[in-house]
Amino acid sequence: MRRNILMPALLAAVTAAAGPAAAYDVVAVTDGGTLSGVVKYAGAPPPPVKIEVSKDPEVCAKDGNQKIDLTKSAVVGPGGGLADTVVVVKATKGKKLDVPAQNPVFDQKGCEFHPHVLAFPAGSTIDVLNSDGILHNIHTFSTTNPATNQAQPKFKKTIQIKVEKPEWPIKVQCDAHGWMHGYWLSMDQPYYAVTGADGAFKIDDIPAGDYEVEVWNGVLGKKTEKISIKPKQETKVVWELSPG
Amino acid sequence: MARGETDLDEEKRSYGALWLVLSLLLFVSGLWAIADDNVFRRPWKKWQAEFNRLEIARLEAAIHKEQERLDGDPAYQAAAKALAEARAQADRGDTARTIDALEHDLEAAKEQDLSKDLNLRFIKSELEELRYRYDEALHQGQPTDALLREIEAKEQVRTERQQAYDESQAHIADLEGRLKQARGAVKAAEDALAKLTTARDDLQQKLENVSLGYYPGPKAEPPFFGWDWQPKIPKIQQVVLEEFDRNNFDEPVARVDRCMTCHAAIDKPGFEDQPNPWKTHPNREVLLGKHPVDKFGCTPCHGGQGPAVNSDREAHGNYYGADGHLENVEFIETPLYRAEKMETNCIKCHANVETLPGAEEIGRGERLFVELGCHGCHLAEGYEDLAKENGVTAIGPSLRRIGAKVDHGWLVRWITNPHVYRPRTRMPNFMFEREQAVQIAAYLLSDTRAASEEWRGAHPAPDLSGGPELAARGKELVESIGCRACHAFAPDEVAGQLGANKDIVPNLAKIAEKTDAQWIYGWIRNPRGYSAIARMPSLRLSDDEARAITAYLTTLGAKQPEPPDLETQLADPKNVAAGEKLVRKYGCFGCHDIPGLEKESRIGAELSSFGNKTREELFFGDRTDVPETWDDWTYNKLLTPRTYATKWIEQVMPQFDLADEDIKALRVFLASRTDAKVPPKYVYHPPGEQQIVNGHRLVARYNCTGCHVIDGRGGDIRRLYQEQPTMAPPILNGEGAKVQASWLFNFVKAPSPIRPWLKLRMPTFGLADEEANTVVRYFDALDHVEVPYVHLELATFSPQSIEAGKLLTSKDYFDCFSCHQRGAQKPQGPPEGWAPDLAMAHVRLNPDWIITWLHDPQKVMPGTKMPSFFPGGPPDVLGGDDEAQIRALRDYVITLGMTPPSAPPAQAAGVTTAGPGASE
Repeated sequence: MRRNILMPALLAAVTAAAGPAAAYDVVAVTDGGTLSGVVKYAGAPPPPVKIEVSKDPEVCAKDGNQKIDLTKSAVVGPGGGLADTVVVVKATKGKKLDVPAQNPVFDQKGCEFHPHVLAFPAGSTIDVLNSDGILHNIHTFSTTNPATNQAQPKFKKTIQIKVEKPEWPIKVQCDAHGWMHGYWLSMDQPYYAVTGADGAFKIDDIPAGDYEVEVWNGVLGKKTEKISIKPKQETKVVWELSPG
Repeated sequence: MARGETDLDEEKRSYGALWLVLSLLLFVSGLWAIADDNVFRRPWKKWQAEFNRLEIARLEAAIHKEQERLDGDPAYQAAAKALAEARAQADRGDTARTIDALEHDLEAAKEQDLSKDLNLRFIKSELEELRYRYDEALHQGQPTDALLREIEAKEQVRTERQQAYDESQAHIADLEGRLKQARGAVKAAEDALAKLTTARDDLQQKLENVSLGYYPGPKAEPPFFGWDWQPKIPKIQQVVLEEFDRNNFDEPVARVDRCMTCHAAIDKPGFEDQPNPWKTHPNREVLLGKHPVDKFGCTPCHGGQGPAVNSDREAHGNYYGADGHLENVEFIETPLYRAEKMETNCIKCHANVETLPGAEEIGRGERLFVELGCHGCHLAEGYEDLAKENGVTAIGPSLRRIGAKVDHGWLVRWITNPHVYRPRTRMPNFMFEREQAVQIAAYLLSDTRAASEEWRGAHPAPDLSGGPELAARGKELVESIGCRACHAFAPDEVAGQLGANKDIVPNLAKIAEKTDAQWIYGWIRNPRGYSAIARMPSLRLSDDEARAITAYLTTLGAKQPEPPDLETQLADPKNVAAGEKLVRKYGCFGCHDIPGLEKESRIGAELSSFGNKTREELFFGDRTDVPETWDDWTYNKLLTPRTYATKWIEQVMPQFDLADEDIKALRVFLASRTDAKVPPKYVYHPPGEQQIVNGHRLVARYNCTGCHVIDGRGGDIRRLYQEQPTMAPPILNGEGAKVQASWLFNFVKAPSPIRPWLKLRMPTFGLADEEANTVVRYFDALDHVEVPYVHLELATFSPQSIEAGKLLTSKDYFDCFSCHQRGAQKPQGPPEGWAPDLAMAHVRLNPDWIITWLHDPQKVMPGTKMPSFFPGGPPDVLGGDDEAQIRALRDYVITLGMTPPSAPPAQAAGVTTAGPGASE
C-alpha cells in the first residue's frame, strides 16, 4: 500500500541525462559508496494527535472516524523509526538525475495523500489519482514553481501536474478536506531518499568524500548531519530527530 | 578763394592707410562673425553632428549584419543567383537579340506614331473650323451646301487617320508586351530578391536620410577612395507648444523647446547605452508613448529653458559643480529638474500620482505631506480640506476627552518628546522644556475636564478578574481577529509603515504606561463613542472579548511613577494660562481637535507657491554653510526644521525626524507647489481619476490596506499568513468588477461574515453614506466599471442552462456544495472548511465576474481555496463544452437565491443535450 517503494525504483531509473541543475556537476561514478541507515524519533514519541473526520465519513472514515493529524504528529513506526522523512546528501557532483520513465504517483485514498511525502527529480510530471471518487483538490503552495489549485471531481480519475524547477518542500493540501496534507520535494540531484515505515533508507553510488546530509521531517523540521563516504563501501548510520 | 584751395588739398589727401585698416577690421570681424556663428555659439552643432555619426555607424553596422544574415540565407543566395542568371540570359544569345530587335522596332513605331497622332489632331481642328463656318453661314442666311460637302470629305479623311492611329497604338502595345515578356525573367527575379531584402533596404533608406550620402555625392558607390558616409548638416530641431504659457499680460503664448537639437536620440530606440546627450529617453516606449514629444515637448516635464541652445548650462539652468554639488545658473527661474525631482511636474497633470507608474517619488512625497499632516499647519492649494472630518480637525486624535484617556505623567513626558515613548510615531517633537510640557498638559486637562469625567462616568471599568487566563485569551484574540493588521505589539515590530520610519497606527507595546483598563475597554467596545473622528473601527467585540483584550493590553508596559508635585502643578491656574498660550503659539489645533480652538487658522506659512521661491525669498539665518539654493534650503529645513532660527528670529516648526529618502520625496512634492498652470488641452484626466484619489485618501485614513491588497498594494497583515494564505483577508484587486455596487455599499456600512473560515473580522468603520459611496466609486473606478448597477431577472436566464448548471454542481460532477453554503444548507465539517454562500450570489456578485472567476480562480485571487475546475469539464454535460458549462454554472449560481433552494439536483438525462446558456 505504501508508495514509498517507488523511491528505490525511481533511483534505479536514474541513468540518462538530466536537466542542468545549479551547482551540480554530472560525472561518471565508478566506485561510489552507499549510505544506508535509519532515522529515529529521539526518545519516546507522544501519543499521536488525532483529528475528527467530520466530512464525507462514508469515504473518509471507513477505517474509523479518527485520523492522525499529520501537521502535528510525526508517523513513528516500530522501534522508533521515523516514516516520511527525507534524507538529502548535499552532493555537488555525481551521477545524472533523470526524469523517471514512469510518472510518480500521488494518490488520494481514504481522504489521505499517498504517499504523504513524495520526492522526485525536478521536471517530473506527477500523476495525481483520485481513488476516493469524491471531490478533492490539489492545492500546492510552491513559490519557485507556479502554485496550483486544481479540482479533482469524481469524474476526473487522473490529473497530471508537471513540476519544472527544483524546490522542496512544497506543501500540498486539499481544501475540501482540511486535514489532507502532504509534501512534494522536487530535487535537483539524485542523492536523496524518503524513509519507509520503519525509518530505513538507502542511497547508492555516492562519489567518495565528505558530505553534509540534511534530514527533514514535516513535523520535526530539519537537521544537518555529516558523513564520510568511502569508495565501494556502505556507510551505515542511525540518526535521530527530536521535536522542537 | 582760400576755400577753394582747401578743397584742392582735401582732394589730394590720401586715405589709403585708413582704408587699409578699416578693410582689415571688416575682414577680421567678418571672419569672427562666421566663426562665432558656426563654432563658438553653436555647441549644439557638434553634438548633433556626433549623433548623426553615431546613427550612421549604427545603421552601417545593422546593414552589415543584415547583409551577413542574407549572405548566409540559402533563399537569398538562390534568389541572387537566379537574378544573375536571368540577367546573363537577357544579355546574350537569342533572347538578347530578340530584345534588341524589339527595342529597335518599338523606337521606330513610337516615332511613326507621333506623326500619326499629329495628323489626326490637325484634321480634327480643321473639322472644328468648318463646323463653325457652317453654323455662321446658316445664321447669316448664306449658302451652306459647299461647306457641307467639304465637311463630309474631311470626315472621310478623319476616319482614315483615326484608323491608322489606332493601328499604330495597337502595334506599340504589342511590341511592349513582347518586350516585357522577353525581359520577364529578370523582373521576376528582381522582385523575388527585393522581398528578401526589405529589412536591409529599409535600413539603407534610413541611412540615406541621416546623411548627405557618400562623399562627394549621393550617387557615388561605396567605397569611394576611402570616403565614408557624410552626416547631414546639423539644424535646430524644435517643438512648438501652442498657447502653453502666459505672458505678463496673461495672454497665451507658445512655448518653444529645442532640447532635441542636442538630445537627438531622445525619441529613437537603440541609443540606450550612449552617454548624454545622445541617450535614448529611459523607458521611452511608455513615457514618450504616453507623452509624444511633438505634442508635449520636453520642458513641461523636465523644466529648463526650452529655446536656449547657446550653452548647455543656460539651457539646463543648472549644472553639477566640480564637487558634485548642483549649482544654479543666475537668473534662470526654471532650472532643470534632476534626480528624484524629475517627477515634480507629473502632478501638474495627473491628479493621482500615488499609483502612477514612474511617479513613485512625488507619489511618496504627496502621501507623506498628507499623512504627516503638513497641511494642518500649512495652507496648500488643493489640500485645504483634508485636515478636517465633518468640520473637526482630524489629523491627530481628538483631545476633547484627553483627561479620560491618558496618565498625567505620561502626558507630560509625551509632550516633552513623543519620540522617546514611541520612536516611530507621526507626532513630531516640539522640543519643549519639561516646564512647558507641564503647562500644556495643565491646559489640555483643565480644558477637557468636564467631558472627560462625563465619559468615564458613563463607561465603568471592566471586571478583569479572569487573571492571566483572561489575558492569554485576549492575546489569542488580538492575534487572530485582525488587530495586528494595523497595530504592532512589540517594540521592534512594524505593522503598517508610512515612509521610511513612521508607523501608520500606534504601536501598542507599552500601552499600559499611557492609559488604563477603563479607557481601553470603553474605547475598543465603541471607539466612536469616545471620539467622533476615531479612525479605529469597531470589531463588534462581545463583552467577554473586550474584557479579555483589555486584560491583555494592560499587561503591555507599566505605569511609571508620577513626580509628587505633578498634580499640584497641573492644577495651577498660572500653568493653565501659560499652557493655552503655548498651544496657540505652536498651533496644536492644526492636527488635534481641542475644545475652544476649533476656529483657529493655520499657523504655518502658505506653501501653495513654495516651489516658486527664489533664493532671495528664503531665509538662511546663520547657516552660512548651506549653499544658497532652493534645494539645499528645503532639504535642511525638513531635516532640522528650526535650523534657520537666529538669536532674534524664532522658529516653531517641530522636528519630524524624517529619513533622507522621505525628505527628498517631500521636497519633490514641495517643488511642485508653483503658480504655473498647465493649459487644459495638455491635461488628460482619465475617467474615474478623482474617484480614485478620493478612494485612496479614505483607504489611507481607515488603513484598509492593513488587511486588504487593493489596487495591487497593501495587505500588511499577510506577513503573518505566509504559511496559510487561505486564512488571510481577501485580496480586493478587481473588487469593483466582482461585486454589485449596492451590495458593497451595504457591506462596508454594516459588514457581516462572508467567509466562515476566517478568524479575522471585517470591522465596522461606521462610515457615513458619503464615505461608503466613496468606497464603491473607488472600486468601480479602479476596474473601469461604468454602470455600477446590475439588474437580474430570473426570466432572462435560460431554464435549460440553469438546469445544466445545477447538474454540474451535483455530487457526481463538481460537488460545489461540498464546501459552499447554499442558504440555510451548510456543508459538512467545521466552518473553517466552508466557502461562501452561493445563494447570496444574486445580490453580491456581478454575473460576468463569475465567468472570469470560474476560468481561473487562482489568477483572480492568488492562494484562494477555490480550485480550478476548468479546462476539463465533464464530457457528458453540454457536449463537454467548457465555455457552455461555465455559463451554465453562472446561470445556476446567480439564480440560486432567487428561488427557494430546491431538492437535490435531478439526474435528468435531457439536460445533457441542452444548448449553451442564452442569458446574454
